[in-house]
Amino acid sequence: MKRVLLLEDGTILKGEGFGYDGDTVGEVVFTTGMTGYQESITDQSYNGQIITFTYPLIGNTGINRDDLESISPTCRGVIVREFARVPSNWRMTMDLDTFLKQKKIVGLSGIDTRMLTRKLRDSGVIKGTILNADQDLEKALVKLKSTILPINNVAQVSTHAAYPNPGTKRRVVVLDFGLKHSILRELSRRDCDCIIMPYTTSATEILNQYPDGVMLTNGPGDPKDVPEAILTIQQLMGKVPVFGICLGHQLLALANKADTYKLKFGHRGFNHPVREIATGRIDFTSQNHGYAVDPKSIDKSILMVTHIEINDLSIEGIRHRQVPAFSVQFHPDATPGPHDGNHLFDEFMDMMDVYKEAKNA
Amino acid sequence: MLIEKEIVDEETMKRALTRITYEIIERSKSMEDVVLVGIKTRGIPIAKRIAERFRLLEGIEVPVGELDITYYRDDIVKTDKIVKPQLKFSIENKQVILVDDVLYTGRTIRAAMDAMMDLGRPLSISLAVLIDRGHRELPIRADFIGKNIPTSKEESIKVQMKESDGIDRVCILKHE
Repeated sequence: MKRVLLLEDGTILKGEGFGYDGDTVGEVVFTTGMTGYQESITDQSYNGQIITFTYPLIGNTGINRDDLESISPTCRGVIVREFARVPSNWRMTMDLDTFLKQKKIVGLSGIDTRMLTRKLRDSGVIKGTILNADQDLEKALVKLKSTILPINNVAQVSTHAAYPNPGTKRRVVVLDFGLKHSILRELSRRDCDCIIMPYTTSATEILNQYPDGVMLTNGPGDPKDVPEAILTIQQLMGKVPVFGICLGHQLLALANKADTYKLKFGHRGFNHPVREIATGRIDFTSQNHGYAVDPKSIDKSILMVTHIEINDLSIEGIRHRQVPAFSVQFHPDATPGPHDGNHLFDEFMDMMDVYKEAKNA
Repeated sequence: MLIEKEIVDEETMKRALTRITYEIIERSKSMEDVVLVGIKTRGIPIAKRIAERFRLLEGIEVPVGELDITYYRDDIVKTDKIVKPQLKFSIENKQVILVDDVLYTGRTIRAAMDAMMDLGRPLSISLAVLIDRGHRELPIRADFIGKNIPTSKEESIKVQMKESDGIDRVCILKHE
């Protein structure tokens, strides 16, 4: 079936549809990962976005049971250059086409993704729509221009009720802004006793769980759209160790008087080099974010910058000076991507132990 | 037969020292009057590495002293050859952080504290160690610990550092 991608600036790209048959609107972004399309598509940080894969062949290993990052993915569309119609992998349970149909996600193949990516790099991320080619595109463009994309992204993907993910060791409250399952996997691997709570949970309710630490997860959209969480974090700091990832990192920064801004085309991919300032060590990291913390806004008496991106020198990690709280913009949980940052979960474990010992001493 | 088991590798050591650096920053009101004093052989490179992290992170030069505590040991007979140790800087009103590789009985640290008191009146003394292996014989505890390693008294801990041994690692040695 012929489908087109229509961008807000009037660009029309014709292609072949796959996956769910329907129209979709979203922010068109690109990711540079060469593998891991399953994890990316199911990553809730892509809520409301249409993902362009720069890697030319997508779908060749199908979809497996183990690598899902959410149960109900909420990205709005998938754009690929070539869609592999005959996938093969020993773990495969279905092909990508079937999966996208199941999850009601629109796919579009046969697009010159190199040209599209270059456009996105020049203009910045842009509103776009995927629709069937037989429609009146001029009308569709008018409609697209007047469409206001929702800003309640976190509310769409956060859990509505608290639930446990039991373990036998440290108690961690996971504040869910649209978490990737792999964050829970990493905590489970360390036998943490997790309680996952909605992002609207108050600090009192969180502290009533007597946590050893609080994890602020990744999530979609602009951190400034969730002001209630900023207040919660301010009330938690100093009372319990805090570790933030991605959106959680931006929220920790906002809670400490720093500011965030929207990146032109974001960091999405797994080949982002990040320097740990204290040691000069370079980690390759998995990233997926459209906003970043403004370096100029950091109050050096409150926060210190611990990690920076090599490519554009943007802030990738911060740490509070007085209380146990730190965060990183990249994904130490990887999936997909390199596991270089995985030790940060161990640092979080150490931080909880040191804090507990100091409190009991 | 002596069995050697590696318990800390280069990466783990690196991370432990980075964490100690962060913790020192977290617990020090002001970094301006912090000085590091490395104890004899392997406390010195550890102190220097922590100072290097301060330089990269904060752009500050934290003085690093080198301390030989032999004069203050409680298990040797003093001879004329053993002289009181000196530091290149004054510790008067400074936040002194003693740095050593392994904390065991606490006797070395007792000696180091005596040395500090002889040299002046520091604002405070705290202790950072790479390894805490337990079995204290004195009421002493570390403020910053790289890694807690429960041991038996029959075992011994071997710390190796690139500066002196060409490799970064910590091993536990045990007779079989």
